[in-house]
Order: sequence, then C-alpha cells, then structure tokens
Amino acid sequence: MNCSDITEIAPLYISAELDARRASEFDAHLKTCPACMSELGAQARLDERFREALLAEEVDVSRVNRRIRELIAAESFRPAAAVSQPRSGRWVTAAAGVAAAFLLVAAGYLLVPGHVARVYADAARDHQLEVVQRQARPWIVDPAAIAALAVQQGIAGSVPLELDASYHLERAKVCRLDGHLYLHLVYSDGTREFSLFLRQRDGQHLTGAIRGFANGRFLRAASADNEHLLAFETSRLTVMVATDQPAGAAEHFAKAASAAL
Amino acid sequence: MGQAGLTGVCLPCSVHWIATTVTARQDEFEHVAMPHSRSLLRVARRLASDPAAAEDLVQETYFRAWRSFDQFQAGTNMRAWLFRILFNAFYAQGRRISAAPILVSLDAPGREAEPQSRSGPSLAEVAEISNAFGELSSEHRAVLLLAVVEGFTCREIAGILTLPIGTVMSRLSRGRQALRERLSPAAPKVWEARAGAGRAGKEIR
Repeated sequence: MNCSDITEIAPLYISAELDARRASEFDAHLKTCPACMSELGAQARLDERFREALLAEEVDVSRVNRRIRELIAAESFRPAAAVSQPRSGRWVTAAAGVAAAFLLVAAGYLLVPGHVARVYADAARDHQLEVVQRQARPWIVDPAAIAALAVQQGIAGSVPLELDASYHLERAKVCRLDGHLYLHLVYSDGTREFSLFLRQRDGQHLTGAIRGFANGRFLRAASADNEHLLAFETSRLTVMVATDQPAGAAEHFAKAASAAL
Repeated sequence: MGQAGLTGVCLPCSVHWIATTVTARQDEFEHVAMPHSRSLLRVARRLASDPAAAEDLVQETYFRAWRSFDQFQAGTNMRAWLFRILFNAFYAQGRRISAAPILVSLDAPGREAEPQSRSGPSLAEVAEISNAFGELSSEHRAVLLLAVVEGFTCREIAGILTLPIGTVMSRLSRGRQALRERLSPAAPKVWEARAGAGRAGKEIR
C-alpha cells in the first residue's frame, strides 16, 4: 500500500469498514509514513471538532414529535389501515369497516381541537356569507391595493394574481377567523368562486385529517356548513381554502394555491 | 392473533381485534422509529431553508415511514431507512440543500446555540465551524453530516443517498479537505483530495 492508496481508502479506515487484511496493511503503512500518520490525525481532530460543534446545537423535537404522533394516530384510524389486516370472511371485513368507522369518529373528536374547528367553521361561514350570499362588505379589487394589504398583514409577496392559469384574483379584504386576522382573497375560474385565507405562520399548527400531499406539504381537509375546507402550511404562511363547490374542485384549487405559494 | 383466531368470533371481538392490532403497530413504530427524530431534525435543519421547513420535512419522513412500515424488515437498520426516506422526500420536492448556515449569534446566544456541557465547544467555535460548513457544496455537506455527525458508515451512506460507495468516499475526502481548508487555511495539505471514485469503490464491492 502506498500513500495514494491510503488517501483513497482513508474514509473506510476511519469508519472501520476495511477488512482485517487491508486494515492491517493500512496500519503498517502508517507506522512507516509520518506524513500519512500526521494527515490522518489531522482529519480525526477535524472530525471531532465538527461533530462536537454540530451536536452542541440544542434540537428541540417536542413539537415535531407531537405532530408526528397526531398524524400517525389520524392515519391509523383511517379505514385503509384495516384493509391490510388479515381477512377471514365477509362479515369480518364488515366488522373491520365498522371498527374503523367508530375509531375514525373517535379520532376526529380527539384530533380536531375546538380552536381548530372554530377556524374552519369561521372560514366556512365567512365564505358562505361574503362570497356565496354576497353580503354587502367592503372589498378591495385593485391589485396594487391588495398587495399593499398583504404587506400590512406581514405577508408581502404572497398574493398571486393567477393560480395555475385557471383562477384569477377577484377581490380581497381582511377578516378575523378564530381571533386571528387573515387576508381573505377570492379567486374565480370564470364560473365558480373560491376563498383563500392567508396569514403569517406562527407556532400554532393546523390539525385535521390528512388528505394527501401538495408540493410536499400536508393537505388537511375538513367540512363545515356544507363547505369544503382544505388547509396547508408553507414555511411562511398558514393557508386555508373554503368553497361551496364539490370536494374535487376544492382540492384542485388548493393544489393550485399550494404550487403558487 | 392470526387469521384463524378471527373465524367465528363475534362482531365486538373483531372490533376489539382491529383496535388492538392498530395500537400494537403504533406501539412498535413508537419504539423503533420515534427515538431517531432528533437526529433526523438535526440533519433536516441543515438541509431545509428554515426551521419550519425542517420540521415539515421530518414530519413528512415519518408519515411516509408509517405508511410503509409494513415493508420495513425487523432487525434491519431503522435509522438508515428513515434517513433514506428523509433524503428521498427532500430531493423529491426538487429542493437543494440550503446554502445558508444556521446563524449563531455571539451577542445573544439563543437556545439553539447553547453547548450541551461546559466541556463542549465555545460559541465562537460553533459559529466558525457552522459558517465554514455552510460554505461547502451540498454534496459535501450531506456526506459529512451523515458520516461525521450521525456516524453512518460509507456503505450505509451509499444506501441512504443511492450513490456508489466510491462516490461517497470521494465526497467524504473532498468534503473533509474543504472544511479543513476553511478552518485552518495555513495547514499543510499533505493529502490532496482525489477524484478516486472508481478504484476504491470497485475494490470493496
């Protein structure tokens, strides 16, 4: 083994992956080569400094662990979880469905706390009154004024004029949902209208059933007052969609919004 | 309880069986997977653009792991499996490893920068290394994190990042060299990092 060999296989030596014969050859070279010995020592010291520095950073996993457990609990109680279990007869499958339904309802109570339910309920009511029933409310329609409103809410640059080239921005206002101010945007595809509620993301996280992923984000679904609600979070924003349109249309709009935000 | 155990049992018993099975699966996942969340979050914070995105990435990793938990073979390396899912999820989103190092304030040290013990590195040391690490290429950062901080072997890293082992070795050598140059520019360079991806990789396969 020469110095060039040592350079190449040093990572395997450091991680103790060399077989006994090659490790012995490596050791023999180090004994006769002060340069390689010195270099390996320098690498080992560097590794130690680097490891200590990164491990010194405190990593608080309490919040993410809680969210993971909530997700898993919600996912566990979906009917699909029961389908993968062994089946022995038609009535047992039916029993599994009944069990899953019971558990799904139970999980719904457990995993959608009151304050979150209120956010969804408020969003549904807001969309119903202000968009569907068109109650007389002050709306802003000028895009520049809407952009200024977004700046005021601390979410500058978060108002696309179009989503997926299918939905265009119609109007905006600020509303209060469960005690928090949201920028309420209304988009239209020409025939249907969708509400998009935005606010700066903070410590509070959304819950609700996971419908799937949209651009790597969890898409949560709920319903209230015959409205379909979908919610997700970006690194900056908490986002909710509310519409009286069918679930498929709501999901299509939510995915378009997720791609744009 | 096997399939035979369900034959002829009453509806409430079946309901109980389903609930018990789901709970047992959750318990097992909690036992074998959840202890690794701290490691995953530590790495995710170095990959993602901000702390919230890092938490989302870890959440997504666990969500995917839970959905595929039936495919995980007991006795194999759960930690490596989770890291593989983490990197897959990260790259699937078309993201690049964040070039921005985690900021460490020297004036008002926050919780994130506090050393774990008195014998740990100083804040200045942490800041210096963190900044130097942030200047490395994303490929070098990934292998250094996995090898030096998380303690994976080259073979395990090759599995996690879906790379030939020779490439992992080469990146490790170059990454170590680049980090060292930034931390000790005046240090003599006896070993120049070499491409060397082919030879060593072939030898140990």
